Amino acid sequence: MTTNSASTPTIRQRIRALFSRIWEPYRSVPLLGWLIAALVAVGLEQLVGLPLARGLGLTKIPALFGAVVILSKPALTPSALLFTTLIYILPIGIVARFTAPLTNRIAAKLAEYPLVVTALVHLVLLYAVLHIWCDITDYRLLVARLAMISIILTLSLNVVNGYMGEFSCSHPGFMSIGAYVASAFTIVLFVSENRFGEALLPPALGPYMFPLALMLGGLISAFGALLVAIPSFRTRGDYLAIISLAFMFIVKSFFENMEVVGGARGISNQPDYATLPIVFLWTILSIWIINNFVRSTMGKALNAVRDGELAANAMTVDTRKTKMTAFLFAAFWAGVAGGLFAHVLRYINPDSFGIRKLAEVLAMVYFGGLNSVTGSVVGAVGLSLISEALRPLDIFKWIIIPIMLILIMIYRPTGLIAFTEFNVEKIFLPKGRAPEGAEHASA
Amino acid sequence: MEFFFQQLINALQLGSFYALIAIGYSMVYGVLLLFNFAHGDVFMVGAYIGFFVSSALLGLNIFGALALPLSVTLSLVLVLTLIISMALNSIVGMLVERIGYRPLRDAPRASAAITGLMIGIILETGNLAILGPQRRSFPELIQSATINIAGVSFTNKKILIVFISILLTLALHQFVRHTKWGMAMRAMAYDYVVVPLMGISTNKIALMTFALGSALAAAAGILYGVAYPVLDPNMGILFGWKAFVAAILGGRGSILGAGLAGFLLGFIEIFVATIFPSTMRNLIAFGIILIILTFRPHGFFGEPFSAQLRL
Amino acid sequence: MSRKLFALLIFASLMLGACGGAATPTIRIGINAPLTGDIPKVGEGTKFSAEMWLEENGGTITVGGTEYPVELVIEDNESKGESAAAVNTKLITQDEVHVIVGPQSSKQAVPAGGVANDQKTPMISPWSTNPNTTLDRPWVFRTPFLDPFQGPVVANFVTDEFGFTKAGVLYDVASDYPKGLAEFFKSGWEDIHGPDSVVAFESFTTGDADFSAQLTNIMNAGAEFIFTPQYYNEVALIVQQAHELGFEGPIVGSDSWGSAETVELCGEDCYGLFFSTHYAAEGATGATKAFIDKYNENYGYVPDDVGALTWDALNIVKQAIQDCGEITGDLEADRLCIRDAMANIEEFPGITGNMTFTEEGDPIKCAVIVRISEEGLFTFYKQVCP
Repeated sequence: MTTNSASTPTIRQRIRALFSRIWEPYRSVPLLGWLIAALVAVGLEQLVGLPLARGLGLTKIPALFGAVVILSKPALTPSALLFTTLIYILPIGIVARFTAPLTNRIAAKLAEYPLVVTALVHLVLLYAVLHIWCDITDYRLLVARLAMISIILTLSLNVVNGYMGEFSCSHPGFMSIGAYVASAFTIVLFVSENRFGEALLPPALGPYMFPLALMLGGLISAFGALLVAIPSFRTRGDYLAIISLAFMFIVKSFFENMEVVGGARGISNQPDYATLPIVFLWTILSIWIINNFVRSTMGKALNAVRDGELAANAMTVDTRKTKMTAFLFAAFWAGVAGGLFAHVLRYINPDSFGIRKLAEVLAMVYFGGLNSVTGSVVGAVGLSLISEALRPLDIFKWIIIPIMLILIMIYRPTGLIAFTEFNVEKIFLPKGRAPEGAEHASA
Repeated sequence: MEFFFQQLINALQLGSFYALIAIGYSMVYGVLLLFNFAHGDVFMVGAYIGFFVSSALLGLNIFGALALPLSVTLSLVLVLTLIISMALNSIVGMLVERIGYRPLRDAPRASAAITGLMIGIILETGNLAILGPQRRSFPELIQSATINIAGVSFTNKKILIVFISILLTLALHQFVRHTKWGMAMRAMAYDYVVVPLMGISTNKIALMTFALGSALAAAAGILYGVAYPVLDPNMGILFGWKAFVAAILGGRGSILGAGLAGFLLGFIEIFVATIFPSTMRNLIAFGIILIILTFRPHGFFGEPFSAQLRL
Repeated sequence: MSRKLFALLIFASLMLGACGGAATPTIRIGINAPLTGDIPKVGEGTKFSAEMWLEENGGTITVGGTEYPVELVIEDNESKGESAAAVNTKLITQDEVHVIVGPQSSKQAVPAGGVANDQKTPMISPWSTNPNTTLDRPWVFRTPFLDPFQGPVVANFVTDEFGFTKAGVLYDVASDYPKGLAEFFKSGWEDIHGPDSVVAFESFTTGDADFSAQLTNIMNAGAEFIFTPQYYNEVALIVQQAHELGFEGPIVGSDSWGSAETVELCGEDCYGLFFSTHYAAEGATGATKAFIDKYNENYGYVPDDVGALTWDALNIVKQAIQDCGEITGDLEADRLCIRDAMANIEEFPGITGNMTFTEEGDPIKCAVIVRISEEGLFTFYKQVCP
C-alpha cells in the first residue's frame, strides 16, 4: 500500500473495513458457540433441507455446500448459493452471534472443570455435528471418513517434513504396511470363507479387537521405518528423500509379490469396522497424541535439530535418537491411517500406495502448512473436499488443483497456516469479555 | 557369455536414458540445491516436442528436393529434430524455473519441490487435455538394422543411443569444467550466498541450469522415442523418479557421477531381472540401492556436505 | 423476526416441492469411467460408447408403452480405487441413478462393486475380469468372460495351431489383469504339456518401457512363442523389441490387444499375430458391424473392445429395464426390479457374443481368436465356446 492510502481509503481497504465490521461481533464467540451454531445448522438441514432443496429446484440436498451443483449445472447456481446461505451461513451466523453471551458463560463454567471434561463436551458436540451432517447421504459419510484418514496421514508426515525438516517420501509405503497388516489381522480372525480359511474367532469380537489390528499395523510399519531410518540418519542431508523413495518402491514390489495377500490383485472383504465414530475417535486420538508429541521436550528437540543440528547437539540433544523416534512415531500413525483406509474402502491393492498417493499427501502437508497441527487438519480436510467438489470438472480438476497449490506456495511458501502452536486449553476458553478484542481490531 | 553381452547392451541402452535425465536433476540439485520434480515431465514434453518436430520435418519433406537416400534423409531429420527440440525444450525448462522456482528462491526448499511436483501434474494433465488420450507413435528416424556378432544380436539404434548419450554427457561435463558459464555454475554450487557478490546473476545461472537440463531431457525424450516408439502423457513419471534416485546416487552436483549412476541403475535393473526372478526386480534393485547408500551416504562422486536447509 | 422469515421460507419451499412431482420419472444411468489417470483411452472409449448409445436410443427407453427419458451421469474415477468407490457412492446417493455401468479395471471395480452391493444398486462392469468383482455380490454383474476361461483358450489354440510345447510368458506383475491371465495361461498350458513346459515366466512393472532383459531371458530359455497379455501400448514395445533381439516365433495376446491403437503403434511388426478377444472388427456382420461403422464415423477410429463391451453392458441395462415392465419412480423398487431382470436375462444377443449370466453375475460367452492381417485389420480366425 502506498502513502496516499491514509487519506482516501482504497476499495480494498474499504472491503476489509466492511469485513471487520461484520466480523466484529463474532470475535467474542467461543468455540462452543460455533459448535452449537453448526449443530443447529445441520439439524435444520436434517429437518427442512430436502423440502427446501426441492423448493429451490434442486433434486437433492447439495452434498458439498453446492459446489458440485454449481459446477455441473451452472443454471442452478443461485439455488445452490441460496440453499447454502439459508441452511448454513445465516443460521450459523445468527445462532453464533446471539448465543454468544450464553455460550461464553457456559465456556467459563466449563473452564473450571478439568480439561478432560471440557474437551469431552466439545468433542461430543463436534461428533454430533459430523454425525448429523453425514446422515444426509452416504456420500458425505465416505468423504468425511476419507478426509479424516487424510488428517492422520498429513499430521504424521508433517512431523517428519515440517517439525523435523527432512523430506520423506515413504509415507505411502508405511500406509500400505499398516493397511495390509490390519487387513490380514481382521480377515484371518473374523471373516469366514476367505483366502485364509474359516474365521478363527467369533466375528462378534471383531470390533473390539479392531484397535489391536490398527496398532499392530502401526507397529509393524514403524519397524519398517527402522530400515529407512538407520541408513538415512547417519548424516544430515537429503539422503532421506531417496532412501525413503527407494523404500516405497520396495514395499510396493514386496506386496506385489506376496501371493498370500493377493499380490497385484489386492485383498478385499475387510469387515466393515471403520465406521464414522471409530474413524473419528482415531483421528481425535492422533491429533491429541501428535500435538502432545510436538509440544513435548522431544518436539522442541526436533525443531532444534531442524534449525541447526550442530547447535542442537551442543545443547545436549541426542540428535540421532530424536530423529529416529520422530520418524518411527510418524510411521506408526501412517500405518494406523493405512489400516483405517483399508477398512473404509474394504479393498486394497499395492497400486493404491504408489507415487500418486505420495503426491497427494505431500500436497496436503504443504497446502495446510508446515510445522502446524492446525495447518495439517486444514490441509487434509481442505484438499479432500476441494478434490471431491471439483469432480464435475473432469480432466481440468487436475489442472486447477495444481495451479491453486502453486499460487499458495508462491504467496505463502510454508503453507496456509504454518508454524503455529495448537494450544488445546486455550481454544476452549470463553472469548472477548474484555475489550481486548476491540483493541485488537482497531489496531 | 553371449547371454551376458546381450544383457550388457540392453543395460547400456536403458542406462542411457536414466543418465541423461539424471544429469538434469543433478544440475538443478547441485547448483540450486533444489529437487526439480517436474523434470520427469519435462522429459515427457521433450519427447512430444521431438515427435511433432520430426513429424513436421518428415511431412514437409524439406530434403525431398535433394533426392538423398532414405537413410541419409532420416539421419538429417534426426539431427535437426535433436537440435530444434533441445532448443524448444530448454524454453520449457526456463518457464518451469520462472514460474515454479524463482518466486520461491527464498522459501523453504521443499516448497519449491512441491511447486515442481504440481507443474509436473499440470504438464501431464495439460497434455491429456490438449492432445487427447491416444498414445503417439514416434516416427522411425533410424532404419532399424539388426547386427549379429557372435550370437549377440543388437540393433544399430542401440549403439547410436548409447553413443549420443555418452557424447552429450561428456560435452556437458566439458562445458561445466572449462567455460566461464560453467565456472559460474560451479561457484554457485559451492557457495550460493557469495556468488551474487562476485557479479554473477543468480537468476541467469538458474535459468541456464534449467535450460541445459531440459535440453538434455529433450535429447533423452527423442532417443526414447527412437528406442520405444510409444509416447504417452505419463511416461515421464516413473523414469523421472528413478532418474532422481540415480541423480542423488551419483553425488551432489557431479555431472559425470549422475551419468554413471544412471548407467549403474540400468545395469542393476537389467541384471537383477536376469539373475533373480523378474517379479522381484524392483524389490531387489532398490534394495541394492539402499545398501549402497548405507555404505556410501554421499553417493559415488559427491563431496561430503551438509545441506543447510533454508527452512 | 428471523423465525418468522424461516417459517415463511419453509412453507414456500414445501409448496414448491409439492408441485414438483407427477412427471414421468427419468431413468438415470451412472457411468464410472477412468477419464484421467493411467488409462485415459479406456475412459474415452467408455464415454464415447455411452454417448453414442444414448444418441442411438434418442435419449429414451420405452417400457411397457411409456417413454422414459434417459440421463447419463458420467463421472471420472481418476483410475484410483478409492475414487471409484467415492464416485459410486456419489452416483447412488446423490445422482440417484438406477444402475451403474463401470468401472472398467478391476482395481476400481472391486471396491466400487462393494459399494454398489451394499447400497443395493445394480452395477455392471464392462471390462473387469477379477473374480472378486462379482463374487458374493448379487447386485454386481459383468460382460467380459473371465480369465480362468480365456487362459486355457489361448493355451489350447496355440497347441492346436502350432504344435508348440515350450511357452514363454511376459506380463506386468503390478497390474491385476495381466498378472491373473498370465497365471491362468500358465496353469492351462501346464495341464496340456506337463510341468515346466512354461520355460520362462517373466515380468515387469507398470510404466516400464524396456523389456530387453526379460525378452533375452525368454529367448535364452528356448521358448517357441511368447504369450503376453498386455495392453496395446506395451504390446507395441514388446513385439518390436522381441524382433530387434532376433526372436522369430509368434507372439500371442489376449483381449487387451483389442484396440485400434495396437496396430497403429506397433505397425508391421504385429502383422500375422494372433490374440483371443470378444469380437473381430473386420468382417463383422449385423449389429456388430453397425456399431463399429457408427463409432468409426462419429469418432474416427475402430472401437476398442472396451467400447464394444460398454455398448453391450448398456444394452443389457436397457433390456433389463424393459423386462422390468414399469419404472415406478420408487428408486429402491426400481433398482431391485432391474437387478432381478438382469439376473434373468438369457441368451442376450450382444455384439460381443451371446450372454447368459451365472449365479455370480458372470456371463457365459464365447471367445474369438483374431488374426492381425497383413493390412493391419483384425480378422476372425476361430471361435471357442465354453
